[in-house]
Amino acid sequence: MRDLQLSLNQTQRVRLEAALHELQTVAPAAAVTVADTIPVNDEDNILKGHGTSDQDGEVVATLCGVVERVNKLVYVRTLRARYKPEVGDIIVGRVIEIAPKRWRLEINFSQDAVLMLSSMNLPDGIQRRRTAVDELNMRTIFEENDVICAEVRGFQHDGSLHLQARSQKYGKLERGQLLVVPAYLVKRRKQHFHHLEQYDVDLILGCNGFIWVGEHVVVGENANMMENKLNLSAEVENFTPLETRKHICRLANAVRVLSALGFTLTVELIIETAEASVSSNIEINNMLGAEFYVQTAEREVKRRADLLRKKSGGR
Amino acid sequence: MVGLSEGEKHFIRGGIAQDLRTDGRRRLQFRAISVETGVIPQANGSARVRLGATEVIATVKAELGKPSILHPDKGKVSIFVDCSPTAAPMFEGRGSEEFSAELCVALQRCLLGGKSGAGAAIDLSSLIVVDGKVCWDLYIDGLVVSSDGNLLDALAAAIKVALSDTGIPKVNVSLSATTDEEPEVNVSDEEFLQFDTSSVPVIVTLTKVGKHYIVDATSEEESQMSSAVSVSVNRHGQIRGLTKRGGAGLDPSVIFDMISVAKHLLKRLSREEGEQRRGPVVAAACGGAAMRLDGDIRGARCEEAFGAVALAAPPLPSRCCRTWVRLISD
Repeated sequence: MRDLQLSLNQTQRVRLEAALHELQTVAPAAAVTVADTIPVNDEDNILKGHGTSDQDGEVVATLCGVVERVNKLVYVRTLRARYKPEVGDIIVGRVIEIAPKRWRLEINFSQDAVLMLSSMNLPDGIQRRRTAVDELNMRTIFEENDVICAEVRGFQHDGSLHLQARSQKYGKLERGQLLVVPAYLVKRRKQHFHHLEQYDVDLILGCNGFIWVGEHVVVGENANMMENKLNLSAEVENFTPLETRKHICRLANAVRVLSALGFTLTVELIIETAEASVSSNIEINNMLGAEFYVQTAEREVKRRADLLRKKSGGR
Repeated sequence: MVGLSEGEKHFIRGGIAQDLRTDGRRRLQFRAISVETGVIPQANGSARVRLGATEVIATVKAELGKPSILHPDKGKVSIFVDCSPTAAPMFEGRGSEEFSAELCVALQRCLLGGKSGAGAAIDLSSLIVVDGKVCWDLYIDGLVVSSDGNLLDALAAAIKVALSDTGIPKVNVSLSATTDEEPEVNVSDEEFLQFDTSSVPVIVTLTKVGKHYIVDATSEEESQMSSAVSVSVNRHGQIRGLTKRGGAGLDPSVIFDMISVAKHLLKRLSREEGEQRRGPVVAAACGGAAMRLDGDIRGARCEEAFGAVALAAPPLPSRCCRTWVRLISD
C-alpha cells in the first residue's frame, strides 16, 4: 500500500482497513517478508531457490514476495521487482535510442530490449532484405521517445533481449496515454490487445506493466500514418473526439486506482471499475479521490467472496 | 518522465484544448492536496504538502543572531530550496542547482519583499528581541522529495503551513547596565510564540499550453508549456509577487486574465487548506502595514506598467516582463 497517499477521513479509513483485512482472509496468500520462516513440513530434501536462506535448520525468506513451489524447489517471487521477460510476452516500450540496424527500448527490464530492423515488418509490407537505405530511414518508422508495442522474441546468448514486431497489430502507438504500473499486476493471458468497442478505445496490457490506453486504430491503417502526421499538427482541437477522450481518461483512472490498490489488472476488472464510476455518478477526476478508492476495494472484496462461494458451491 | 512521443504530446495538448486533461481534470482543477504539519521534530515548524505525486517538505528553523547594521529593528529571514536527486533524474549531480535557485528566487520575491524589507509577507520587526543586539534568524528550507510538476505552488503552500506551525521560543532578556555589553538571553523551552501567517501568500501557477492555460500542471504537461506565470496572492486578495517562466512571450491581456483567475482560485485553495490544517491559526491583524506597499496599489501600478509596455510592443518578451515585475516588487 505504499502508493496509497490519500487523505482519508475516519470512516473511510475504517472501511478501507476492513476491506483490506477481508481481502487477506478471503485469499490467504503465501506472502512473506524478509526473515519470515517458510514452512517446509516433513520434506527433508527440499531445494532452496532464489530469495531463501538456511537459518538454524529453517528456511527463511530473504526477499519480500510470494512463495512459489515447483516440486522440491522453493523460491520467493518478488513483487516489486523489475519485469522478467518470457518468450512470447507482449510488451509496450519506449524507444530510447536508435543504433545501427536496431532500436533500443526501455521496457522496465534490467537492461534495454533490442528491436532489430530485420525483425519487423516494413511499413510498405513487402518482404525483402533490408538495405542500407532502409537503415538510413529508420527514423521514419520509429523515433526516439515513441511508444511501441512488440513481442518478446528471445534472449541472445549474451543475455540481451530481442523483440519482434512481425504483424500489423504491433507498431507505433499514438493518440493516447501510457501508464506505468508494477509488472506483477499484469498476468500473462491469451489476449493482451483489447478493442473496447463500446468505448472505441484500444487497451493494451503490456506484460511489463506498461499499459496503453488510446483511441482505437484500425489495423492496417498504420501504413498511411505518414500522411496523418501532417494533419495532426493542424487540428489539435479535434484530434480525439471528446467522447472517446472521456472514455480514455476514465479507463486510465480506473487503471491508476486498481494499481494503487494492488489488484491484478484484467480487462474485465478495468471495465467494471470504469462502469462503476459511471453508475455511481463519479466525475472522472474524482475517481482518484479517497471515496472511490474505498468503494473499489469494497467491490473487489465482494467480487472475490462471490468467486469463492461459487467455487465451493460447485464442488 | 523521460520523454513523450509526438502522439502523446498531441494527446496532452488536445486534452487541454478540449478541457479534459489526461487524468480527467478540467483546466482549472487542482489535484488532491494533502497537508501534514510537524513532520520534522527538530525544526521549529515543518510541513509536508502532497499535490498528486508531487511531494515537498518545508521547515522553519529559528536561531538567535545579530540584526544587520542597516536594519537594527528587523530580524532576518532566508529561504533555501533543495531538490532531492531521488525526485527526478535531472536533479542528480549539479543538475538541480539552477532549478532550485530559480524556485528560491521566486519564493524570496513573494515572501521577503524588497531589499529594504518593505512588503515582506513575514513581519520582520516581530523577529526582534533586543533592538540592534539580538534578533531571530529564520531559516526556511524547502525540500523537493518527489517531483511531478507544480513545485512552486506546493513549496509556497508548505512554507505557509510550516510558518503557521512554527513556535518561536519566548526569550527573557536581562539587560545589563552598560549598553555596549552583550545582553544575557534566556531562551524558554516551554513557552512559544505563534507566528502571524495571515498575510503570507500562496502561489498559483498558471501554465500556458497552446491557446489555453491550466493550473497545477503535471510534469508531462509542463513539458508542453510555452510559458508559465506564478501569481502569489495573500488571503486578502492582494498580489504579492509575480514570476514568469518559459521562453514565449505573453500578451498583457492574457496576464491580467491569469491574475484574476489566480486570485479566484487562491480563495478556493486557501479555504481548502484552512480546512485541512491542524492547530490554531492566528488571525491577528497584520502588523506593519504602513511599512508595506499596499497590495492593491501595487496591483494598480502593475497594470499601469504593463499598459505602458503594451503600448510600445504588445507581446512582452520574457526578459522585459521579468524586469518590470522586479521593479514593481522592489
